[in-house]
Amino acid sequence: MGLIQETDYGTKPSKATALVTLTIDGQSITVPEGTSIMRAAAEMGTRIPKLCATDSLDSFGSCRLCLVEIEGRPGTPASCTTPVGQGMVVHTQNAKVAKLRKGVMELYISDHPLDCLTCSANGNCELQDAAGEVGLREVRYGYEGKNHLDAEKDVSNPYFQFDPSKCIVCSRCVRACEEIQGTFALTIDGSGFNSKVSAGINEDFFDSECVSCGACVQACPTATLMEKSVIEVGQPEHSEVTTCAYCGVGCTFKAEMRGEEVVRLVPYKDGKANHGHSCVKGRFAWGYATHKDRITKPMIREKITDPWREVSWEEAISYAANKFKQIQAEHGKDSIGGITSSRCTNEETYLVQKLIRAGFGNNNVDTCARVCHSPTGYGLVNTYGTSAGTQDFDSVDEADVILVIGANPTDGHPVFASHMKKRLREGAKLIVADPRRIDLVRSPHVEAAHHLALRPGTNVALVNALAHTVIEEGLADEDFIRERCDWDEFAEWAAFIMRKENSPEATEAHTGVPAAELRAAARLYANARNAAIYYGLGVTEHSQGTSTVIAIANLAMATGNVGRPGVGVNPLRGQNNVQGSCDMGSFPHEFPGYRHVSDNTARRILEMDWGVSLSNEPGLRIPNMIDAAMDGTFLGLYIQGEDIVQSDPDTKHMVAGLSAMKCVVVQDLFLNETADYAHVFLPGCSFLEKDGTFTNAERRIQRVRKVMAPKNGYADWEVTVMLAKAMGMTMDYSHPSEIMDEVARTTPSFAGVSYEALDKLGSIQWPCNEKAPTGTPVMHIDGFVRGRGRFIISDYVPTDEKAGPRFPLLLTTGRILSQYNVGAQTRRTDNVAWHGEDVLEIHPFDAEQRGVKDGGWVKLASRAGETSLRAKITDRVAPGVVYTTFHHPLTQANVITTDYSDWATNCPEYKVTAVQVSLSNGPTEWQTEYQAHSEQARRIAPPVAAE
Amino acid sequence: MRIFVPRDSVSVALGSDKLAAAITAEASRRGANVSVVRNGSRGMFWLEPLVEVESDEGRVGFGPMTLADVPALFSGDLKGHPKSVGLVEEIPFFAKQQRLTFARCGVTDPVSLTDYTSHGGFKGLEKARAMTPAAICAEVKDSGLRGRGGAGFPTGIKWETVRNAQAPQKYIVCNADEGDSGTFADRLIIEADPFCLVEGMAIAGLAVGATRGYVYLRSEYPLAISILREAIAIATDAGLLPDFTLEVREGAGAYVCGEETALLDSLEGKRGMVRAKPPIPALRGLFGQPTVINNVLSLAAVPYILAEGGAAYAAYGMGRSRGTMPVQLAGNIKHGGLFEIAFGITLGELINDIGGGTASGRPVRAVQAGGPLGAYFSPAQFDTPYDYEAFTARNGLIGHGGLVVFDDTADMAHMARFAMEFCAHESCGKCTPCRIGSTRGMEVLDKIIARENVAENAALIRDLCDTMKFGSLCALGGFTPYPVMSALTLFPEDFGVTSLPAAAE
Amino acid sequence: MSHDTKHRLVYMANQISKAFAHDQEDKAVEEISNHLKKFWEKRMLAQIFEHLDAGGEGLDPLAKKAVAALQRSAQPA
Repeated sequence: MGLIQETDYGTKPSKATALVTLTIDGQSITVPEGTSIMRAAAEMGTRIPKLCATDSLDSFGSCRLCLVEIEGRPGTPASCTTPVGQGMVVHTQNAKVAKLRKGVMELYISDHPLDCLTCSANGNCELQDAAGEVGLREVRYGYEGKNHLDAEKDVSNPYFQFDPSKCIVCSRCVRACEEIQGTFALTIDGSGFNSKVSAGINEDFFDSECVSCGACVQACPTATLMEKSVIEVGQPEHSEVTTCAYCGVGCTFKAEMRGEEVVRLVPYKDGKANHGHSCVKGRFAWGYATHKDRITKPMIREKITDPWREVSWEEAISYAANKFKQIQAEHGKDSIGGITSSRCTNEETYLVQKLIRAGFGNNNVDTCARVCHSPTGYGLVNTYGTSAGTQDFDSVDEADVILVIGANPTDGHPVFASHMKKRLREGAKLIVADPRRIDLVRSPHVEAAHHLALRPGTNVALVNALAHTVIEEGLADEDFIRERCDWDEFAEWAAFIMRKENSPEATEAHTGVPAAELRAAARLYANARNAAIYYGLGVTEHSQGTSTVIAIANLAMATGNVGRPGVGVNPLRGQNNVQGSCDMGSFPHEFPGYRHVSDNTARRILEMDWGVSLSNEPGLRIPNMIDAAMDGTFLGLYIQGEDIVQSDPDTKHMVAGLSAMKCVVVQDLFLNETADYAHVFLPGCSFLEKDGTFTNAERRIQRVRKVMAPKNGYADWEVTVMLAKAMGMTMDYSHPSEIMDEVARTTPSFAGVSYEALDKLGSIQWPCNEKAPTGTPVMHIDGFVRGRGRFIISDYVPTDEKAGPRFPLLLTTGRILSQYNVGAQTRRTDNVAWHGEDVLEIHPFDAEQRGVKDGGWVKLASRAGETSLRAKITDRVAPGVVYTTFHHPLTQANVITTDYSDWATNCPEYKVTAVQVSLSNGPTEWQTEYQAHSEQARRIAPPVAAE
Repeated sequence: MRIFVPRDSVSVALGSDKLAAAITAEASRRGANVSVVRNGSRGMFWLEPLVEVESDEGRVGFGPMTLADVPALFSGDLKGHPKSVGLVEEIPFFAKQQRLTFARCGVTDPVSLTDYTSHGGFKGLEKARAMTPAAICAEVKDSGLRGRGGAGFPTGIKWETVRNAQAPQKYIVCNADEGDSGTFADRLIIEADPFCLVEGMAIAGLAVGATRGYVYLRSEYPLAISILREAIAIATDAGLLPDFTLEVREGAGAYVCGEETALLDSLEGKRGMVRAKPPIPALRGLFGQPTVINNVLSLAAVPYILAEGGAAYAAYGMGRSRGTMPVQLAGNIKHGGLFEIAFGITLGELINDIGGGTASGRPVRAVQAGGPLGAYFSPAQFDTPYDYEAFTARNGLIGHGGLVVFDDTADMAHMARFAMEFCAHESCGKCTPCRIGSTRGMEVLDKIIARENVAENAALIRDLCDTMKFGSLCALGGFTPYPVMSALTLFPEDFGVTSLPAAAE
Repeated sequence: MSHDTKHRLVYMANQISKAFAHDQEDKAVEEISNHLKKFWEKRMLAQIFEHLDAGGEGLDPLAKKAVAALQRSAQPA
């Protein structure tokens, strides 16, 4: 096992289909038209020296090392910027170009420190390699001339250092920031010899617009931009390809290692979701895996007021199993259940639901998707037939109009956001529907054509009004509807949507979006050749989350924007494996592959395979589990990798429910908030420590590969197996691949999936079966999965959560780039440098009225509870709307959120809470008490000496 | 009586505004019926301010005029005026010219549409309107016109490429970022005959199907900017540009923005950095659209070509260098100014016969042709005909038509160092040979001037010049070796080497 | 709003009813009862049936009808 070396072809591949044949160094080669000479040469194995060229960036032609001679053409053109031509005869190596290259290299080295032996890039430096290739032996200019050797280092970024003394001004970092990331934080300052890379206008990296995505570090050919971990540890010696465990984009990374120590994570060029790009979380924020807070020994306690006691795995497992068995014996088999995690692998999730269905004998399994994308499942299954987004990410390259609803991709899904921004810079038009002026509305070289700044909670009215405009103005795609959908259902829906109350003029009263602006947006969307919708939790986390998903699906069908690249309805999944955990049967009403528990065929397949009989009745959802706990009928819970106390709404109710249970088993990396109410703690392991698969937002199943031994001794799936066995089940797997084989043989949409196939193809987008042996990038191409697309009436029902005299503002919540969800991971990395606490965004007008100062403490109160945090005064939010993140447990944003939820799926209404903001001196009593309780609950008893 | 007082930058710098006021005042004092016309410059700078008085025989010139010379203009004895230079058009410097492009310069009021049309203006545009775009391109191709900015690329072929490109929007961009030392032809024609450029650009628009044009004019030419803007407004208001929108954009003082791709970046609002070609601007130019980018002189040559036919223009010149070139005589020269002449005249004729040798009266030592990055010629090479190919054969270039003369006090090693310094100062910093090479070149030449290891350093400078010449991305770094190497080759004694050093390898 | 389970179930049932209120009444009743059957755990169903038997206070008329219909079909024939 060595270091994976990816070939750098120097320039991007050509998308042309026409072929051109030329001769390079006497060898004939045929490549697509538009390919650069450099790439053509690289494809036949000829390396032309280069420094400014790299195949992730547009060719630039500045380093002048790749010069070649072309017969019949004057001069020595750069091979990176010169496309191939039919019959061209190219010489990449001869005396003339050799002398030129040496001359250029001599200039480079005349302004470069000669510290190769002690340089962090030693052994992995393109400048060093190129100097070797051109055979530079002396620098006749000497080293006493003008130079940059004393340029000061910028160490402000927590993860990488900028050492301009080593910079060769190839602009790869600047170009990466522009072309790949789209942030435009870097520039070349000065000109001529004084040209230097600069973050912003002579700021340091940390204070600049830099979002620390790492693209510049990745692009740098020298040690100028270098990971601090490499500077500290040295160059890695082996690597393994794996999948990021943060958001639903599912970036592929190379974990570059020294022994069992991670040196760095580097985005993998062949990653189908990220194409070699990354964000600050995936690229750098992996240090939590070895954080001192990691719990690596199992622990138990009789009462949640006791301190924890470290025990052996055997003792912990049998303690948990006995408790569960005892509860079932006393209160019936439905008195326990479990929660799977979207953070865990497909295999682990599958095993937990199997343990519950087959071992516990009930369907009381739920998952964190309950609080994020459960409405997506319901909405898309009923309209299109599949509980998943319709497109792959690359589809955005074909989109001409992009409608982003209730999603903030630059913070939540940064790598896909960069992809989208690239398309927007190419000219695609953007419509943003969001109460808040998210970055996409206006950022460098991207500006939304329309920002529909609706009032929180009025999504359905907004989307209905868009559809109303489409129908009223005759913009519907009638051919598509006749061919793909049920015309009568359409007609019925169209009659509904044409009602006056759905007109932009009427909905304006609810949404606050001017009718003319909305109509213009609708026309833009409907008239596009290809229009795509991307949405996030701003759509789902509402009492009408499901209705909005349905309304979106209707809109896309009515305009014919389904079933080909560039269009579709695309949920941006919050977590790495939300899609997968849902696919694997984590919901109480359905088996793996979205088959209802009452579906006899599906149940029999599983009963045959698992050798037990299964319940055909739906189990409890998380909020109902908590209610049942309060009622005394649900008393045992196995929670794998979830922190429901912090992530679920109405914390006080959640805490009361958990406290009422007899046995709560938490499996996690850290003693999280939920563990404060647990009786058994089973240490979990990070994605670096186990094998498995994650499925991203585009249904792409990708491998997670173990690069280090589990710090706790067992991979998470092994712990579930131990618990299952202790509960009396038969569960024998020697490797997660066998679990996937079981999924494949029992789930039709996964029939073709195996680790072997994944290794071969890199990744697979389900459905993958006989009909689609290599998977399905874009769905519903030849017709909807459910047969005919179904228009469903989505009536706007205002939420009961309304602003009023006591709570006049509407709170909406979201995520920030550097932090991730409840922050269990990112808070344990240097990412805290960017976001040390949650703050409340409030409009200057509302702040003024309340005497709120920027940075001052405010109390945020709702019907459910109150908390305190610092204010940030900004006009990103409209008057009447406030916004915060939920990354920090101390803030406890969910103390504020109410238990209103989606009518169909009980997905909580996080995005709308009526609140009041007032001045405060600091944390509330609840926060102080909560923190004291946490400290108490996390005591670990000192080990007792053996007698 | 009409009295002409030029309003161009040179004359104004020499006091022509005060002169004009004084003439008006003097006339009214005397009750003379005089109208003062502010014309452009004739291009005879040693005579500026050159005041011309209309007479029956023609326009009589007086220069260089001072305020003290004004009253004598009204004495009735024009011939006896101490500053009289006789009939302007009979001054040998003027009479020897073949003014096609600059025909109206100095004759007319630059912002008078009547003057322009009565002197043949808009005849070319009128003809072009009746032609197909292909026919216009063919006419320009037939003329043999080559890019007057320096590269010498056939203008007609460039237009044809843009014409054939399919795009929703095409552009005409005029490069008026005249930055070469010793050149002033762009400024002169814009200040003297701006409609000529407007007409040329409008014809280009018709030829390629472009509806928008930009003139990228250097900010150091404020007068030219205001005159051109005025002319554009007049032509637009007169309905002469019904399908063409023309705008002046000011440059910000970077020499490299005279390079066409850097100019496009700058026009787009970006930092002016040289772009690698391909893609060529003709296919992907301004804002990624097909773009004709031509020098002022190329575009200003077009009205004549359309009015009189490509063949008429091609009848002038020699070899592959057809038509005329506005040669700009500058530096240490007796008769500095603009001299438009058909290609083929020799360098010696231009310097000695036309220019009258040095202003200092000392022997000519060197002539730098084609701007600060042009090669030096020695008097031994004065037989070189003014022709693209002949200059290339002598490792020189015509460039934008500038000739800067030095007498025998010039130290050519310092001049070589200046070339490197100029390059270092103006380098955009994109490509390595120019970015680092120019600074190293200065350092190495400093060592040579200090007579340190002269032989090794001379060999090194030669290698460096090769690296810059063949390795640079654009002409800035690519042409800097011309003055350096020509100085070293022609005047080795100034470098402390007795003969030309061989290359190190 | 209340943390009392019964109240929550009534609230949920009413919420579901509103989502189908645009349908003809018999179709709406069918849709609502189907939804309950598909997603509600048996404890929840038992509690709402019990509540209906006790008069169904707080249940919207449509929700009431749907719960009643489901209760009828759930009873062993």
